[in-house]
Amino acid sequence: MYPVHWLVWIDPHRRARKLLQFAEVEADGARDLFRAAEVVQDPILRRRFFAHARDEVRHASLFRTRGLALRRRLDRPGPDHVLGDGLLPGERGFDRLNVEAESMSALLAFIHLSERAASHSFAAYGAVLGHDPETRAVIQQIARDEEGHMRYSRVELSRVAPGQANRALWASRLRRLWRAYVRTALVMADMIARLILTLLYFLLLPPFALLARRAARKEPPGWHICNACRNDRTGGQY
Amino acid sequence: MKILGISSFYHDAAAALLIDGLPVAAVQEERLSRRKNDAGFPVRAIEWCLGQAALEPQELDAVIFYERPALKFDRVLMTLLRGFPHSWRAFPKAMNNMLGEKLWVRGVIAAQLAVSARRVHFTDHHLSHAAAAFLTAPTESAAILTADGVGEWATLTLGRGRKKAGGATTIDLMREVRFPHSLGLFYSAFTAYLGFKVNEGEYKVMGLAAYGKPRWAREMRRILQRTDDGAFALDLAYFDYHRAVDAAYSKAFIDLFGPPRDHFEPIDLSTALGQHYADIAASAQLVLEEVIVDIATSLHRETGLADLCFGGGVALNGVANARILREAGFDRLFVPSAPGDAGCALGAALWADRILFDRPHRDCPDHPFWGPAVVSDDLARLAAEDGFPFARLSAAERIDQVVEAIASGEIVGWMEGATEFGPRALGHRSILADPGNAAMRAWLNRDIKFRESFRPFAPVVPADQAETYFELPPGGARLGRFMSGVFPVRPQWRGKLAAVTHVDGTARVQVLDRGMAPGLHALLIAYGQRRGMPILLNTSFNLAGDPIVTSVAEGYSTFRRAGMDMLVADDVMVRRQRARQEHVLEEVA
Repeated sequence: MYPVHWLVWIDPHRRARKLLQFAEVEADGARDLFRAAEVVQDPILRRRFFAHARDEVRHASLFRTRGLALRRRLDRPGPDHVLGDGLLPGERGFDRLNVEAESMSALLAFIHLSERAASHSFAAYGAVLGHDPETRAVIQQIARDEEGHMRYSRVELSRVAPGQANRALWASRLRRLWRAYVRTALVMADMIARLILTLLYFLLLPPFALLARRAARKEPPGWHICNACRNDRTGGQY
Repeated sequence: MKILGISSFYHDAAAALLIDGLPVAAVQEERLSRRKNDAGFPVRAIEWCLGQAALEPQELDAVIFYERPALKFDRVLMTLLRGFPHSWRAFPKAMNNMLGEKLWVRGVIAAQLAVSARRVHFTDHHLSHAAAAFLTAPTESAAILTADGVGEWATLTLGRGRKKAGGATTIDLMREVRFPHSLGLFYSAFTAYLGFKVNEGEYKVMGLAAYGKPRWAREMRRILQRTDDGAFALDLAYFDYHRAVDAAYSKAFIDLFGPPRDHFEPIDLSTALGQHYADIAASAQLVLEEVIVDIATSLHRETGLADLCFGGGVALNGVANARILREAGFDRLFVPSAPGDAGCALGAALWADRILFDRPHRDCPDHPFWGPAVVSDDLARLAAEDGFPFARLSAAERIDQVVEAIASGEIVGWMEGATEFGPRALGHRSILADPGNAAMRAWLNRDIKFRESFRPFAPVVPADQAETYFELPPGGARLGRFMSGVFPVRPQWRGKLAAVTHVDGTARVQVLDRGMAPGLHALLIAYGQRRGMPILLNTSFNLAGDPIVTSVAEGYSTFRRAGMDMLVADDVMVRRQRARQEHVLEEVA
């Protein structure tokens, strides 16, 4: 993956966008962890989640500060997102985690695997950022923290689910795989639907569009008799 | 009769439960899901409402949705057809969106609640706003004005309502302005242009407006024109929301007003560019006020009624509300605690009860506290487990300690009873602080709430002393009940109320009636005895990007994250011990 990472991180526009995207992911992760701290009954886990969440807040700030610094150097920063700006598995953080719906062992296994993926990704990005030592320093610092998060989540998993930690980790791996499949399927379904609907738009809609425009021209702006005055007592959809 | 009202799928989903004509529970989904402005189907809110009354969904007599999905689809499709061929990008997304879920609301509700589809009813979006405003207001007869981005087709409606306890209710909406001409979308376009999130950052535009001069008012009046019949029309060349999914304004708009603000960069009001954006905000605010005040004035002339009930998202604009009250001729202006779409859940349920099922009117309790209540034992447990000092206090002790803390410059998280229904913290989920310390405002914005430096904070004052400190017009106290009006602080008090006086000398004051929140009222009185002014800074108990806290666990988490000094949940009080807390956190990090 080295050439791919190098290509992604060499472009200053994409680099700035990536860091700002990461800032959002970390901020979302912090929210999930604060939520986890709010719902968990175990006081040790509560403190761990709280400390972890604060790290994520700090990471969000580091990414944002560095992303903005890079962005300010650009003549034309361009749009916030462009095609191909999607996040890779290691970059998704906790990926719309529904904290309340998780058992503690599942939550810890999920955190452990997410942090491990993030740590590996950040280590790889650090390796291609020789041309930007400041960004590399930020990413390496965060990668070290992610390793710490990996370790505490594994230790806590063994504590709250003694003898079942490996099972929880495998279940979590399968879930991550399933999520990746569902995400891919949804993207493909969305693309197919867009294609079909765009074809319908151009093939079927023109005559109706003409009628709609004629009707619109007949409808002057200003006051209209109220639709809600129809005295409809049926409670229908129309 | 048991009726469940639901609003969802666009922004700020909510559920409200009505039993025998009176609300028993109402809550926004975001308060339970902890996702700001959660628009998804409000499963948690519904479950909580039903749980409050110990009801199973099958025991409901009716479920009512706050708008008519098929009419909404009609508007979406018609708009896309009218925009042909420029709407080609928006079409697939809009159709996916509508055909995926939003059109099949009856089925979604029936499936989620396992109730018969025949029990699921619908009403018009603006009728829900009208009902939420009129049927909760303590008046028997009133003019009604609703204004928001868009419902099905309507964006603004005018009408009148009549009701009497034990008697029949009528709500007649007489006329409407239709999409794409919309005051709400006009304001939202400027919200987006100024780099804030649409449907969330509109109040930031209002706050920013006070820093600017309306130098662009003439241009604004060109794009928001008045029609001969007294309504208004937007010059659609300047807007894109009617043909694009993710754009509110067009290139012509940028040509006129200059490049939009980079939302990554803070607004620096000491620069020409920062001042330009403040001037744009001031101009948009002024022109919105002119139009809405004029429409309200003609409604008053037409109906001759003394009271006006105002609903819809535009009714959250406290500056405009205060002008309507001062200038339109009405004696009283009623804005509900939740005038936006969340409030439509309650409005739709009330409409169904009074009008669809023809049941006699019953006066609703005049307070906003319909959500989950504080469980103070939870705070005691959390504090004990984490080694924070806590105490159970009598009401008098609690007030003494909070007064002492605030008087010495501390920031207090205040949780009491049931949570508010609506976007404002009205005394049950608040952060309280000294209103006199000018540095407090900057500190709260920067270190506690993590938000923009230009954002003002609101004061809360007992109703019987409000006029001493604020220039309230007749009816102002009523408008201030749910913090719906912005009024001038009397000049002699501005220096002493520096943390809550905005740059233009105004404040969005909450005028507190003792009966509404007795605990906070007693605190204000005690604070007044200690400091000479019974006024506190009252801001919502949340951090930027989070919904207002609901449970004690969320309050406790926010208290720790924000570095507040004290947290009070009913009779339990927890204090922050900086040295110890930092030590504990370091230990586990």
